Amino acid sequence: MPEGIFCNKKPIETQEELTALLGDTSGTQYYKEMKELDIDTKLLWTTIQNTCKSRIRTWLEICAHCGMCADSCFLYLVNDRDPKQVPAYKIQSTLGEIVKRKGNVDNEFMRMAMETAWAKCTCCNRCGIYCPHGIDVGIMFGYLRGLLYQQGFVPWELKIGAGMHRVYRAQMDVSEEEFVETFQWMVEENEEEYPGLTVPVDVENADIMYTVNAREVKHYPEDLAEAAILFHAAGENWTITSKGWEQTSLAMFAGDWAACKMQVENVYAAMERLKPKRMVGTECGHAHRATVVEGPYWAGRQDGRPPVECIHYIEWLAEALREGKLKIDPERRIKVPVTLQDSCNYVRNHGLREVAREILSYIVEPGYYREMSPNREHNFCCGGGGGFNGIGLFRPQRNKGLITKRDQILATGAELVIAPCHNCWDAIRDLEEEFEIGIKWSFLKPLVVSMLELPDHMKPEE
Amino acid sequence: MYEFITGFMFWLALGVCLIGMAVRTILYFKGLRWNLDRVAYRAYPARGFKGAIRSIYKWILPFGTHGWRKQPFMAVLFFSFHIGAVFVPLFLLAHNLFLKEKLGFSLITINGGVADFLSWLVIITLILIILRRLALPEVRILTNWYDYLIILISAAPFITGLLARYEVGNYSFWLLAHIISGEILLFAIPFTKLSHIFLFFASRAQLGMDYGIKRGGLRGTVMDW
Amino acid sequence: MFKKILFATSATEASDHAARVAFNMAGTLGATLNIFHVLGVPTRGFSQVVLDVKTKEEVAVDGEYISWVEEEIKNYYANQLANCANCSIKASVGVPHREILRQAREIEPDLIVLGGTTGSEEDSVYKASTGSTLQRVAKASPCPILAVNRPAASFWGGLSNIVFGTDFSKASDKAFEFAFKMATSLNGELHIFHALDITPKNMGMSMPQDEIDHKIREAYKMIRSKYISKMKDFKNYSMNVWEGIPYVEIVKYTREKQADLIIMAHNSRKLDADGPKIGSNMEQVIMRANCPVISVNR
Repeated sequence: MPEGIFCNKKPIETQEELTALLGDTSGTQYYKEMKELDIDTKLLWTTIQNTCKSRIRTWLEICAHCGMCADSCFLYLVNDRDPKQVPAYKIQSTLGEIVKRKGNVDNEFMRMAMETAWAKCTCCNRCGIYCPHGIDVGIMFGYLRGLLYQQGFVPWELKIGAGMHRVYRAQMDVSEEEFVETFQWMVEENEEEYPGLTVPVDVENADIMYTVNAREVKHYPEDLAEAAILFHAAGENWTITSKGWEQTSLAMFAGDWAACKMQVENVYAAMERLKPKRMVGTECGHAHRATVVEGPYWAGRQDGRPPVECIHYIEWLAEALREGKLKIDPERRIKVPVTLQDSCNYVRNHGLREVAREILSYIVEPGYYREMSPNREHNFCCGGGGGFNGIGLFRPQRNKGLITKRDQILATGAELVIAPCHNCWDAIRDLEEEFEIGIKWSFLKPLVVSMLELPDHMKPEE
Repeated sequence: MYEFITGFMFWLALGVCLIGMAVRTILYFKGLRWNLDRVAYRAYPARGFKGAIRSIYKWILPFGTHGWRKQPFMAVLFFSFHIGAVFVPLFLLAHNLFLKEKLGFSLITINGGVADFLSWLVIITLILIILRRLALPEVRILTNWYDYLIILISAAPFITGLLARYEVGNYSFWLLAHIISGEILLFAIPFTKLSHIFLFFASRAQLGMDYGIKRGGLRGTVMDW
Repeated sequence: MFKKILFATSATEASDHAARVAFNMAGTLGATLNIFHVLGVPTRGFSQVVLDVKTKEEVAVDGEYISWVEEEIKNYYANQLANCANCSIKASVGVPHREILRQAREIEPDLIVLGGTTGSEEDSVYKASTGSTLQRVAKASPCPILAVNRPAASFWGGLSNIVFGTDFSKASDKAFEFAFKMATSLNGELHIFHALDITPKNMGMSMPQDEIDHKIREAYKMIRSKYISKMKDFKNYSMNVWEGIPYVEIVKYTREKQADLIIMAHNSRKLDADGPKIGSNMEQVIMRANCPVISVNR
């Protein structure tokens, strides 16, 4: 059987297809069909010839097989130093082989490659900074994911995720109306406590256009409320956009480049329509990477920049605290041992290594902050990046992958982990569930809201 | 015979090596695609250049990076081997006399004692590198016959050179073997992993540009290699 | 008074007392009852997978699964449903307090009856945000919420004997309006009560008796001016001010008056960072009371 009903080479384009695929609980039939899925070797090889240029080809060729990348990979370290987890081996045995065999690989090989690409690499790009040749295996796995997606070998959840972006332009089934409605609901729920709280929708020429992660809308709308409260308290001239509000891209994790382009162009269109001075995105790592770092390239922007200046939430927050737009009550600063999780997607991959630390210098009582080791651009992945968190099939591998972060956190002695990234937040939440080490974890927004010194006009009447 | 290999063959080997590597380096940079690599190389040449230079400089500095500091044993092996492998062929007195005769110019030279020391260093570190390959499971799994072939091609000129130097057995035989193995090495450079002699700089420059432009460079973050 | 009641239930024993009250009330008052159950908390990152709160298993939720859970609820409450004319059932997925509030926003009930939580709220699925489900629903609920903790509290005679506990806050004014409306429309008794907090706060210094007496007199004055004056010709009331630990006093008072309902304001804007263990005054009352407690927020 070449093409399955669920598992095939065709991306999800309609709501009906999406519902049907979601109906295949846990992807049982999907993965069964995958075992029969044919490989279009001609397409595979043509794609490689067209897209695998000197950078990746040279990487594959000049790898000296020195093994220095091994220790840089947290999955190698937590899997008892299994040689099969050495980054160079992982990529040579998958992408390397495909190129060597000119695309002539079989179904079993492709399924092995899928497991390697999604369960043995989170595309955290750490190995790239430990290789003398500068070979970034994470980038190559990103590329391999694209090839695998094109052939239909992609984990069930990510086929759905990419489909969500194609259908809803959001990672979850949240419509434009639901987004605006939820934001307004959150404002109503909090306006008594924060007089004057509003959510400006589709206002042109605002200073800030705020974009979010659909999961906040769907499950954690408190996050939207907190964002509104902080913008309001800082006196910002901000707006949300009814179209193009979703900053994330599961399509990036899936390797669905066409969907990546559709998704990011939707956000850029909002920027061009509303002409804000800046875009601020929520506390999410891959959303920032997708929309700000990689997005311009998918959208074909030669200067590598989005249409307007885009900053991460932590950059805005640091600025607001630095300039005194937001004031912290020193009495309410954090007084428990606390550590910070650096997100690969905007620290290693966008250089925002000091920003969160600046914020912590304002909100943590001196003496309570503990650095993880290693940290900044050398920090390890949370254990759930690159889509790892959400893939049911690879849950055991993911859970094992959390051990690095668990031990890093334990070594700091921190009771609270600040994770200004949805993926990291999820992974740390899951590691508490899995290992029960007695920590708390948080985004920055709720912490800052709880210690805010409100300007007089914002104090509730008593 | 000697005439042929020091004449035509020498010119051919050198030509193939230099032209081959020039072509490969040019093709490398021509093959960089801003949209596929997702790095805006052309939009920020100055930043890219700075990033590239830094990325190369940090890594050719012994213990200059986190990676080297993390693996001191490997770093010592790596630098000992490469210093010998670069300095001896380029700056040995005998090589430069040969060069003067052939090309009419010569480079600076190192004295004989240093050259001997460096040559032995190359041999010893290569042995240690082979042992490391055999001993460490994470390196063993990556290793195949091709890696040993590369080691053999790189080691052969040194081994034959030392045998000739100490006149073990027949000097002219070893000298001939030395010249041939050296020429094999030159031929091999553009077509094998040995291309890293040039492509190391290319690849490092590329990642340097990536960090210098896209991954933080434009924001003013200097990568902590 | 209550036309539409939202009953948020775990559909387990933990919610049985609340269920008794909810079905009773719906029956007596002829209200429609919407039985609402949050079956799972999202887990596994962005995926559709949730942790089933009952079985503690991860399940991929789809329409079929939700119908199945709704069917389960129907079976669980089969007896009660047989006598319930206007009952509907809905199961949903998400973080419990948020989904209850979302449902409340959608159907606009006059009262939310809150059942117990399955298992412990110490589970990390609940630790994601601050405070207990009760606290969080109480904080943001658009209508009063009714909670029942002890089984004894659910064997409820009627709606005739109401204790209104006040701390004179603005929220308490709202709670009074609600209590008064309830007492008049149901033709019941209203007992207005204030507990003077004499728990030693600063370095264990307790309050001198003169000061206590003075404060009690003041409290009576407040009750008269704030509440009695607004009650016009409603006569079936009493008022008392006792000193002690507020939540203990209010429970004692309720027992003495043989009241069948306590109405209080949920005053606290802050959520308890330490979770449900410590809890607010209101939660303590709910835990200890022999009758249902209604919390009024706005």
